[in-house]
Amino acid sequence: MSVLRFTATDLIKAPSGREAQRRRADRIMRGIMLATAAIAVVPLIGLITYILINGLPFLTSQLIVNSPLDKEPGISNAIIGSLQLTIASIIVAAPIGIAGGVYLNEFASPRVSSAGELLIDVMLGTPSIIAGLFAFLVVVPALGFSGYAAIVALSVLMIPVVMRTTQEVIRLVPAGVREASLALGIPVWKTTIFVTCRTAASGLLTGVVLAISRGLGETAPLLLTAKGTNDTEILNFGSTMNAMPIVIYRYSSSPDSLQIGQAWATALVLLVIALLLNVLVRFRTVNSRVA
Amino acid sequence: MSITKESRFGFGGGIRVDALFRVLFGSAVVVAGILLAGVVLSMVVSSLPVWNIQTPLSFVFGDRWAGEVTQPDGSVVGNYGALPVIWGTVVSALIAIMIAAPVGILAAVYLVEFAPRRLAAPLTFFVELMAAIPSVVIGLWAAGDLSARLRDSVEWWASSTLGRIFPWLAEDPEAPAAQSVFRAGMVLAIMIIPMVVAISREVIRSVPQSLREGFIGMGATRWETIRHVVLPAARIGLTGAVLLALGRAVGETIAVTMVIGNAEGIPSSLFLPGQTIASKIASNYGEASSPTETGALAALGICLFAVTFMLSLAIRLLVRRAARGAGQAS
Repeated sequence: MSVLRFTATDLIKAPSGREAQRRRADRIMRGIMLATAAIAVVPLIGLITYILINGLPFLTSQLIVNSPLDKEPGISNAIIGSLQLTIASIIVAAPIGIAGGVYLNEFASPRVSSAGELLIDVMLGTPSIIAGLFAFLVVVPALGFSGYAAIVALSVLMIPVVMRTTQEVIRLVPAGVREASLALGIPVWKTTIFVTCRTAASGLLTGVVLAISRGLGETAPLLLTAKGTNDTEILNFGSTMNAMPIVIYRYSSSPDSLQIGQAWATALVLLVIALLLNVLVRFRTVNSRVA
Repeated sequence: MSITKESRFGFGGGIRVDALFRVLFGSAVVVAGILLAGVVLSMVVSSLPVWNIQTPLSFVFGDRWAGEVTQPDGSVVGNYGALPVIWGTVVSALIAIMIAAPVGILAAVYLVEFAPRRLAAPLTFFVELMAAIPSVVIGLWAAGDLSARLRDSVEWWASSTLGRIFPWLAEDPEAPAAQSVFRAGMVLAIMIIPMVVAISREVIRSVPQSLREGFIGMGATRWETIRHVVLPAARIGLTGAVLLALGRAVGETIAVTMVIGNAEGIPSSLFLPGQTIASKIASNYGEASSPTETGALAALGICLFAVTFMLSLAIRLLVRRAARGAGQAS
């Protein structure tokens, strides 16, 4: 957007008294605002530097390949666990989120649509610990601490993310595209899937990636559900499972210096994944807006 | 396309398939609704055992989390007091919002109104990147690095000057606490600033350019324009941004658990360890042995959910009011 580069007061030469005071106030406030922008960025720089310094020395093949039970312990089971839990949760959450978002935009009456939006708002605002508590109270008594409980908790957090993004991108699909398809006699369901959703495909993917990035980083709901373990569980969602955030949390308060180092290194891995996903989303969104 | 094909895939069958399709997609919304209802119901039902041995009033205003107490006459009385964790939640969220609201809004104003494009794009990118960092990673950094820095700078300064006058800012200079409520508030501030900036930026950008031009044309400086035109015009949206961020601060769990110290009771000073609702649930669920203790944690969950639910409603009302206001203006 365009910003005015100078104002009328800039044109007045040699201001005096009140005029000078106003210009001083302008300069001071401008400095303060620059400072606040800097304050907003400084923590990120501090965080990345500190995690790089502490994490890099421990980021070895031992960390990624070995399990905690090996002679030279690593966190391979947490990496495998995080991947499995996130993929399983997104398989549950993506269809529900996309279908729900499409329904609210395309088919719902204004009243239902408004209720649906409130539902998404409330779910988005629900703290992750509450989602974990839900799975802890409902799934854990039946199945015990397990991957299934974690999938329920993560799905509760992912569904509104996908639904909201879906709704927003489907809204951007021009009505003419749908109307053209319908005018050709193509049924509504085919139009919705092959025309509307196809047009918004890149945006739908953005929602899914956002949800994945949310799921990968959540800790509290996993502590209450998957709990963490030293065993490597592959597709065994009925038992406790490990995940990278759990490792970071548990190892960070460990007396063992190797485990503390590995907490930093795991944080580094998680940080890189989170930043990559974020950049990916940004890149894709920019592309779809241009298109 | 042949006639037969058309009759098979065209209007006749299509309408029935369409109806089925709508039901299928609509059921996704129903599933989401059931999940949310399940979240609320599960907490309400699980909290029932507590209400058998304790009143909601004594739960909310009790200042000790002592568990079940067996009376001399053999009856069991609940002694779960949520006041300390409610206090910790409110205070840490208030510290966070008092820092994040002005910093975030002014930073957004700078990015929209002042920053040259070369600077605005990377600054925005980095600010929003912070929002993508998992909270456990922020917690690890906060506990390992930031916490000690805050203790030796802001806390040390405040406790050695203001702390002499106000006991709630006091700290033992010889043995400062390893963790504190204040530091939890600062970490929360860092976590919600990106959110405030991102939303405020959108809001400020949507203030019509002509409003600014009109004021500047009358001889106002840029700051005067921001102060008297841009910020008032963006008022509702900015309030929404702050409320959203407040909701995030209230519910944030793991980063807070890692820096707040998880100490029982209401601390006498901000520079002493405390507890929030979320950190209490996260650190106590494992030890919850009796149904009443699980119930008490569920009751804490209800309190937390009630707050975030109310914030969501408030934001929705604000947005609706803003939309109506815009409709009247045009």
